Amino acid sequence: MKQLPDDYYQCLSNIQAADFVLVELTLYLDTHQDDIQAMEQFNQYAQYSKQLKQEFEAKYGPLLQYGNSYTDANWSWAKSPWPWQV
Amino acid sequence: MYKQHGESFTPMKTYQPFHSRFDPCRPIGKKYYSTPPHLYLGFQPPGLKQFPAQEALLRGTLWEFLYDYYENPYESKRRTTE
Repeated sequence: MKQLPDDYYQCLSNIQAADFVLVELTLYLDTHQDDIQAMEQFNQYAQYSKQLKQEFEAKYGPLLQYGNSYTDANWSWAKSPWPWQV
Repeated sequence: MYKQHGESFTPMKTYQPFHSRFDPCRPIGKKYYSTPPHLYLGFQPPGLKQFPAQEALLRGTLWEFLYDYYENPYESKRRTTE
């Protein structure tokens, strides 16, 4: 059974960490709308997260569907492994 | 580590429930309850120290002050009493 490369998990973990920071900053900024420094950090991480996802999708296929991700050449979104199998 | 507005605080506190002589169960002695840091913070000031992204994910919060390490106080007690 073909196993996934370690880099697959490493990239996913980085994406997860970046997205967690974005969640925390979103919640923080909801009550601190004047914190410019936090907003700068938020935009940095938003851009960083997009970049990480682009890198991941270039290597391993789409993360999202319905146009939220570009498809790869062989429309492989329905092929395993599924997210819960990863 | 646990210091806010100059005073320090503890993340875990205890109380002693009353144990009646007719209580069939073994006295539990001390009971513990958690008092996480956010109780002592009030409105979060800007510019709090943060964890790096990966560590924040593992610890469950971006801000070091709000991290609340939980260790089951009954676990260590059970090992000693039994």
